[in-house]
Order: sequence, then structure tokens, then C-alpha cells
Amino acid sequence: MTTSKTSEHFDVIVVGAGPAGSAAALVTARAGLKVLLIERGEYPGAKNVSGAVLYGSAILHQLIPNWWEQAPVERHVTRRELALLSPTTSVSLDFQSVAPSYVDPPFNGFTVLRPKFDRWFAAQAEAAGAFVLNATVVDDVLREKGQIVGVRTRREAGDIRGDVVIACDGVNSWLARKVGLQRQLRTHELALGVKEVIGLDESVIRERFHLDGSAGVAREYIGAVTGSVHGGAFLYTNRNSLSLGVISQLSSLVEQKQRAYELLEAFKAHPSVAPLVRGGTLREYSAHLIPEAGYSMIPKLFTHGMMVAGDAAGLCLSTGIYIEGINYAIQSGRAAGDAAIAACERREFSRDTLSKYLDLLRKRHVAGDFHAYRHAPAFVNSERLQNLYPELAARGSEALFRVDGNRKRKLLPLGWRTMREVGGRPHQVLKDIYHAGRAYLW
Amino acid sequence: MRIAVCLSRLPDPKTVEVDPITGEIDASRTLYVLNPADAAALEIALELRAPGDRVTALTVGSEAADSVLRDALAVGADDVLRVWEEDRATTRPLVTSLLLATALRTEGLPDLVVCGARTLAGGSGKVPALIAENLGWPAVTDVLELSLHAARVHFQRRLGRGGRSEGEVTLPAVLAVQADAARLRYATLPGIMRAERAAIPVRHLPDLGLSPLDLNFPSPTFRTPMPPYARPREVFIPDSHLPPHERAAQITSAGIAKRSGKVVEGAPEELADAIVAFLAEQGFLDRSA
Repeated sequence: MTTSKTSEHFDVIVVGAGPAGSAAALVTARAGLKVLLIERGEYPGAKNVSGAVLYGSAILHQLIPNWWEQAPVERHVTRRELALLSPTTSVSLDFQSVAPSYVDPPFNGFTVLRPKFDRWFAAQAEAAGAFVLNATVVDDVLREKGQIVGVRTRREAGDIRGDVVIACDGVNSWLARKVGLQRQLRTHELALGVKEVIGLDESVIRERFHLDGSAGVAREYIGAVTGSVHGGAFLYTNRNSLSLGVISQLSSLVEQKQRAYELLEAFKAHPSVAPLVRGGTLREYSAHLIPEAGYSMIPKLFTHGMMVAGDAAGLCLSTGIYIEGINYAIQSGRAAGDAAIAACERREFSRDTLSKYLDLLRKRHVAGDFHAYRHAPAFVNSERLQNLYPELAARGSEALFRVDGNRKRKLLPLGWRTMREVGGRPHQVLKDIYHAGRAYLW
Repeated sequence: MRIAVCLSRLPDPKTVEVDPITGEIDASRTLYVLNPADAAALEIALELRAPGDRVTALTVGSEAADSVLRDALAVGADDVLRVWEEDRATTRPLVTSLLLATALRTEGLPDLVVCGARTLAGGSGKVPALIAENLGWPAVTDVLELSLHAARVHFQRRLGRGGRSEGEVTLPAVLAVQADAARLRYATLPGIMRAERAAIPVRHLPDLGLSPLDLNFPSPTFRTPMPPYARPREVFIPDSHLPPHERAAQITSAGIAKRSGKVVEGAPEELADAIVAFLAEQGFLDRSA
């Protein structure tokens, strides 16, 4: 058995076979580079968790034309719902569309099951020529004169050298921190998602959610569902299962001494959710950290010989309206791959060459989106938006639709009364309107 | 010394998901792995290997089965070989063992064959014994521990109810080891890289000097030998020649006379004949069959 240091040399080493890593490996392998894709799990997708809706189907369409025809997708999302919950009431905004951009190729978004989808995506990279190395943990990078020249894996004789390292190792990116690109993350920047996949018959799902064919619905919830903890919940329809879960801000979980799985149970028991999951069987249970703070937690994205992409780069847009990550992961992985190709052409792997990565992120609207919504995550996680306003909306609607022979109030006095009831103060509301405007409007 | 290890690839039971409504397996989720008992066998073979020895890993299967041979190469097997008859979906133990035994013979007989005691898929545990039968070698099943002393293997076997038995066998022999006998080592990175690029040699039937007809064993038939009602029991009648008090004693003890089994001793052939005769007598076997 050989015990010498491996003599293998790759052009590009991608760490982590999620959407970002597989996209990076795919584009670089297609360019004819020698690519290594390292995955910690037994297979790509084994340890990957998200909701999961893949929005921005068109982005993947550019990489793999008509990808939905061969990939294991569940349903294309034609309906979105945003619901404000109080313990007894739900007030929701329901969007449903049969417009061509939603129901015709390339569609808008698909629900996916990550263990299947990620496996398929990594297989595309493998087919393009990337070498996929499973069940291997990367512990560190190899440095030479300030340049990153490879990675150290947790295997015997586990050093591998490569010209460019692309770290797509997820929210808790070990590599980005080792290299000093990312700082220690703070608990208010992270959320804990706890998720269940509940199996239901296909016909039952169609009937319960009023769906035709392979159309699907994505629902997001905010308010009492997480109690006093800051966070929200989601419920997505798959082909013959539902993905649902609760996302709670880590710092407020700790402050409120709550357990995330109890919140999930409470969510499933909520009167507006319980009838939807009734009779289902638990198929999967998983949990994962989510980088929620958006723009403020994006690390330095590149250094000499290394780039960071996907969740490792904090590229998860969580604004209340948008909860997107996979699309940005694919975009950033692709951009990092393109930057790596350019660097390999010039045989020059300095920080300056790799800065093309950032240019590409700007050009493909990734950096712009995060900058535009930079105030939204903090606003969504603010105390009043989380607890006061959902309660206000619920009580207000209760009062509005109640007919009991008493005098009907007009909307303004009704709103005023309800606000006093739930303990809102006018100057705070004005302040929040300003904050909402800053987060979403201008 | 040359050691051969027989490996099989099977679906990981943890990933087999059956749709409760259609009863179909969700194939897109299924992962294929090296059978755990075979992994233990491979580890034992690698541990037994002294400098100069060679460990050869064999499998029967289609191209997909190359993955277990690559696993074996990655952890340090010296040679690998895949045996397959095209156009076949699966093989029964009888066929698997014939293919393996023939391959061993044509490639040069090893000194020791190590197998997993049983797969997680079929789990009949027949293959090791049938290989031994084909080669005319002794087979030791359910091995937990073994050590090599010159040309003899000292082994410990697992018996039922936590029992153990120890013994020795002279090489060449076939050993079937249990899944918990050893834990397969981690592959080194260069090992994985080498294995991934290695060409896997394949032998088809003509290479082994076999024709497809050789693999046509009559399929087993099942019959219900007896209708499922209780057999008539003989009613006890006391011996009328005995004095009355003895007859009374016989009647009162009726039915509590000890049940007796029949112990047959003799040469293996005679014993086998005795078993067949007993089964035929009891109506379990059709004599004409």
C-alpha cells in the first residue's frame, strides 16, 4: 500500500457536493479541466437539507437545458401563500397563477427532495468528467507562500493539491473560517430549520391543495406558529409527500429556552395546518442551520487560490417574501467555476485573477439582490413583525368579519382599537413602516 | 499464499423505500453497497495477508457490480475479477457459486477462499458452502474469529443461543465469516484514486469454459405434502393378557409415556438415506420425485 503523499494534482478542487459545488464542478469539468468534487456524506445529498423549493429554474436551464425532464423534481410551483398566524386564526395572501412563466417551461420553481436532486446534480458533474470523492471530510487547506494549493482530507495520505479550491462546504464553512475569509458567525445571524417530509397519497395532495397535474404550492407562515421565538414555517407540496418545517432564529431559541422540535409539533397541530397533514406518515426528519442575515454575513469571497460559494458564502436570501438559496448557490457555484476556468487559462491564481468571481456575481445579479434587500432580514426578525403584527392582523380580521349585532366600526377606528388591544404604539408603527419601506420599497 | 474473497453488491436496506400504496420500491433513492459480511471477509483477508501474499476479490454481477471491486481495490486488494453472464438479471446461489468456483479454478486455485456468511438481500447463506462443494473443499460457516498456523486455520464459529465452537481446518478451505467478525478499514486517498481508474477484468461464460446450459438448474418446486389437519392418533388399548391391576395401571398412565425420538447413527450416506426415508414415510416427500 502506498503511504507516500499523493501525487495527484487537480486543476480545481470543489469541496462539498451541494448545488453550489456541483454547479462549480460541472462548468469547470465541461471546460476540460481536471476537477475533484469532494463530498462528506456517503453520497452527494446525503447530508443536505433545505425546504426545498428550487426557484429560478431558468438559471439551471442555462447549464443543463430542459433539466426538469431528467432531474428528480417533484412539482412546479404555481401557487404561493404567505400566512400570518395567531394561535386561532390565519390571515393569508394567496397567489396563484397559470401565466406562461409559471406553468410553461422553463417554469419558475420546482419543489425537490434534496437527497435525490443533489445526487442527480452531482452525477451530471461526474458525467462531465469531474471526479466525485464521497465519504471524505476536508479538514484544512494546504498553504504555500500565502497561496492555497490544495486541501487536506481526513484519510490516510489525504493531501490533494489543486490550483483552485472552491469551498462550497455549507453554512458552517470550516474552510472559509480556516482561511480567514469568514468570521465566527453570531447566533442572531443563523436560524435552525427543523423539517419533516410527510408521505401522503398523490390524489389526496391534489385534492387537499386544489392542484392540477404536477403543479405545486409553496406556503410560508409567520407569527404565532413559532410562539415568541423569531422565525417562520413553511409547507411545500411534493409529488406524494409534503415538506414542512419550522425555521427559528438561533439567538431567540436560546433566549426563550424553546426547543425547535416542539415548535414543529405545535405548527403541525395548528388548526390551519393540521387538516393538511392529517393521515400522513413520517418519511424523513432532518434539521439544518440556515444563514439568514443576508448581506451582512457575506464573507470575503475569494483569496489567493480559493473561492467561497453557496451557503458557505452566506448566499441565502431570507426576506420574508423571498426565501431562496438553491438558485444563488447554483449561480455562485457557476460564477466561481467560470472564474476558475479563466484563472486556469492564464495559469495565474492570485486574488486579483479570482476577483473575476465577484464581477460575475455582480453581473448575474447575485450581489445586487443581496445588497438591495440588505435591511430585510433584520426587519423580518424584529420583535414586532414576528409577534405583534401577525396578532394585529389576526385580531383585526376576526373583528372585521364578526357579525354580532353590535355597531360596525369603519376600518380605521377598528384598526386603532385592535392595535391598542394588542399593545401596539402609534410611533412604533410609523417607525416600522419606515423600516419596511427601507427593507422592501426603495 | 493466495487468498480469494467473494463480494456481492446489494441495495442498502436503509435506503430501500417501499411506497405503501403501490408497493413499489423507489429506485431513485436506493443506494448500493458492499454486503457487510463480505466487507468483514475482505478485512480478514487483508489482515491475513503476509508480505508476498495476494488477495483477489471476485464478484458475480453486471457492470454496476464493479463498484464493490473498486471498494476492494481502494482498501488494498491486489487483484479483482468480475464474472458475468450477459442478459441475466440476477443469479441464484447455485449459479453464483458455480460461476465463482469455475472462475477460481480457471484463474488458478487460491489457498483460501473467504466469503461473507450471508447477504442482507437473499440471506440464504448457501453460496460459501456451494463453492466448497464445487471445489471439493471443506467449508466452515459462521466464522467469528480465525488465525492462520502454517497450512491450518484455527477458527471460532458462532452457534445458536450464544454458543461458540472452535476447530481447525487444513487449507485449502472455504471460510464464511459473519458480518461482525471484522470492520473494514478506511481506504486511503491514493487507494481510492487508483481504484477509480483501474480497469476491472471481466470473465464471461466462454472464458470460463461454461455454456449457458451449464447454468440451467431445474428450478425448485414447492408442494404442500399434507392437508393441514391433525393426523389421527392411535388410541391406547391395554394388553388384555395382563392382570387387571396392571391393565388399570396402564390405563391411568396412558398418554404420559415419554415421547421418543429416533437416533440414527452411521456413515453420512446412511444418515442421509435415513432422513429421506423418514420424510417419505411421514408423507413430506413424494418417493417418485
